[in-house]
Amino acid sequence: MIPVEHYIALSSILFTIGGIGFLARRNMILLLVSIEVMLNAVNLALVAFNRARPETHAGQMLSFFLIAAEAAELAIGLAIVLAVYRLKKTVRVDDANLLRH
Amino acid sequence: MMPSILALMPMLVIGFGALALMLAEVLTDAKTGLAVGTAVVLFTAAAFACAGWMVGPENLGDAAVFAPWLVFDRFTLFFEVLLALSGALAALVAGGYLREHGIDRGEFYAILSFSTLGAMMLAAAGDVLMLFVGLETMSIGAYALAGFRRGSPKSAEGALKYFLLGSFAAALMMFGFALLYGATGHTDLAGLHNALASESLRSPSIVIALALVLAGLAFKVSAVPFHMWTPDAYEGAPTPATAFMAASVKAGGFAVLLRVLLTVFGDERSASWATGWPPVVALLAVLTMTVANLVAGRQESIKRMLAYSSIAHAGYLLVGVVAAIRAPAQAQSAVLFYLATYSVSTIGAFAALVLCGSRGAEVVSYEDLAGLGRRHPAVALPFAFFILSLAGMPPMAGFFGKWFVFKAAMDAGLHGLTVIAFINSVIAAYYYLKVFVFLYMREPAAGAPIAKPMWSGEVVTAIALCAFFVLLLGLAPGAVLDAALAVGGAG
Amino acid sequence: MHVQTYAPMFMLFVAATAIATLFFTLATVLGPSKPSAEKSLPFECGSDSDGAQHVRLSVKFYLTAILFVVFDIESVFVYPWAIQFRSLGWMGLASMMGFLLVILVGLVYAWKKGALEWET
Repeated sequence: MIPVEHYIALSSILFTIGGIGFLARRNMILLLVSIEVMLNAVNLALVAFNRARPETHAGQMLSFFLIAAEAAELAIGLAIVLAVYRLKKTVRVDDANLLRH
Repeated sequence: MMPSILALMPMLVIGFGALALMLAEVLTDAKTGLAVGTAVVLFTAAAFACAGWMVGPENLGDAAVFAPWLVFDRFTLFFEVLLALSGALAALVAGGYLREHGIDRGEFYAILSFSTLGAMMLAAAGDVLMLFVGLETMSIGAYALAGFRRGSPKSAEGALKYFLLGSFAAALMMFGFALLYGATGHTDLAGLHNALASESLRSPSIVIALALVLAGLAFKVSAVPFHMWTPDAYEGAPTPATAFMAASVKAGGFAVLLRVLLTVFGDERSASWATGWPPVVALLAVLTMTVANLVAGRQESIKRMLAYSSIAHAGYLLVGVVAAIRAPAQAQSAVLFYLATYSVSTIGAFAALVLCGSRGAEVVSYEDLAGLGRRHPAVALPFAFFILSLAGMPPMAGFFGKWFVFKAAMDAGLHGLTVIAFINSVIAAYYYLKVFVFLYMREPAAGAPIAKPMWSGEVVTAIALCAFFVLLLGLAPGAVLDAALAVGGAG
Repeated sequence: MHVQTYAPMFMLFVAATAIATLFFTLATVLGPSKPSAEKSLPFECGSDSDGAQHVRLSVKFYLTAILFVVFDIESVFVYPWAIQFRSLGWMGLASMMGFLLVILVGLVYAWKKGALEWET
């Protein structure tokens, strides 16, 4: 059996990659992807920790709800990105500068 | 079975009410009734929450069947009443605003109701799962409301920033909770508290988890330096949505902040000044108050000024949260009372701002307010009234809100923090008074576009209710203060 | 099974940050960048590419995709329920029916709003 630490290490790496991607990338779609990577890192951590504590299903249950909420979040995010794209014809966040003062 | 249903009633009413609103919107052509319908649903929910309060959560014994997912204590019931009222007032404002500005699409009301439901779940959450579901339900609704004016680039941009930073914050927070789950094996908040209190877990993962959770929560209550989205989202959103975000979303954020900090991280080590979160939250409070007040004074746009003002209020509230480590009951009830006064004042201010302008002649900047007090005293007066309350002038509600929080902080021995908060509320008077200067002492420049007030029964009703609550909380704070103290005593 | 031993994890946190930053920097600093017209062409298995670089997709696809994602993901709750169908009993059935009712309202809403119309 693969020890839980390995999963957690992978999850941490994924989370860090997602976080750096979110901070470094300037394409809105890639920002959405980064957030998804971070949330899936959370899912992986939850499921792995649950495997280490098989007496309850708390972690697995939480990850189910995370998946569902992620989908809803992604849907609204895509809709917002699409609205911005239609108005400004760009997917770069730097071009979203109307409100800067 | 009966009492447990009563405990659940406010949420059931809003949930099914929102579904009914959705169906009513598409299956009938009842356009005009939706705002009033939403307000009725939310007032009914508030009434049920009040009924639950009267019966007393200790008599809702069967409500324990929802444990650990949902906790029905006085804390939850207080927030249920507050959130339902705030939502109803925002819906009334929306009724007039959306019609006037030609964006009268019915989904606004369903989204607002679902978002309110999410905030209630957040306040009632006794488990990380419900906390997350509530947070997402509230936030997803708020993102949609912020971007509701689809044709406006400002609205779309504000929503984009709000969405991106909000989901980033949620991801940070959930990774924090995942680490806590790994360290303790619990996702229920009480279990987490016990595990953190009893086992001498000194693992660095707890500290990382605390930092991640705290950062995520700070985003939600828009504390500096996690506030970047607030002015943009508030300015871009249609004004009733701004009012909703400023009142309900912030109240939901503070509910979960209090619950998480005082329950999960309420153990001696985490909540001590030397080894835990209090100094961090105190630093956040100082930064939030100071930065927000200094930047607010430099704003041209009224909505941005009110956005920074709402950030500053979050700072005062955080002072109360820090005070809760030494005087938990008193400080927590002070925070709850402050939230009540702040919610009605800020919704009132946005409602009055809506009334000051009409389509094509909105109030955007201070200049637009020039001379309004002389030309249209009937709409300028309410705006001035709520600005006074936000500024914390006696005998308005805002004064007592600040008074109790500052007093709690003094009693908790946080003298430095209290002094900083006090100085800040004096600085804040500058930009609030600027509103008065423009309302009553300036005339619009020749040829400048002037704001034309609109008329709407719904908005006027909302303003009247807000004004009633502001005066009630200012002149006779007893009843609500007793309620807030009862929460503190029970918790 | 040492869930509490996190030291390697934090080293990985640091290492992951360092490596990602390093690669980003190295790629931009060291990477030889000699673009030519030939190189900038999209590679399509040797055949010449033609047509616009960004094909305009109809917005209908996004709408359908968003609706699909939301309704599709809800099955994540139905599957574990179906596995445990017998042991969950009538309460489980009632809960699932309530859940499906809410989904159904959403479907009716999307339908009536015209979100499912392809030809408009």
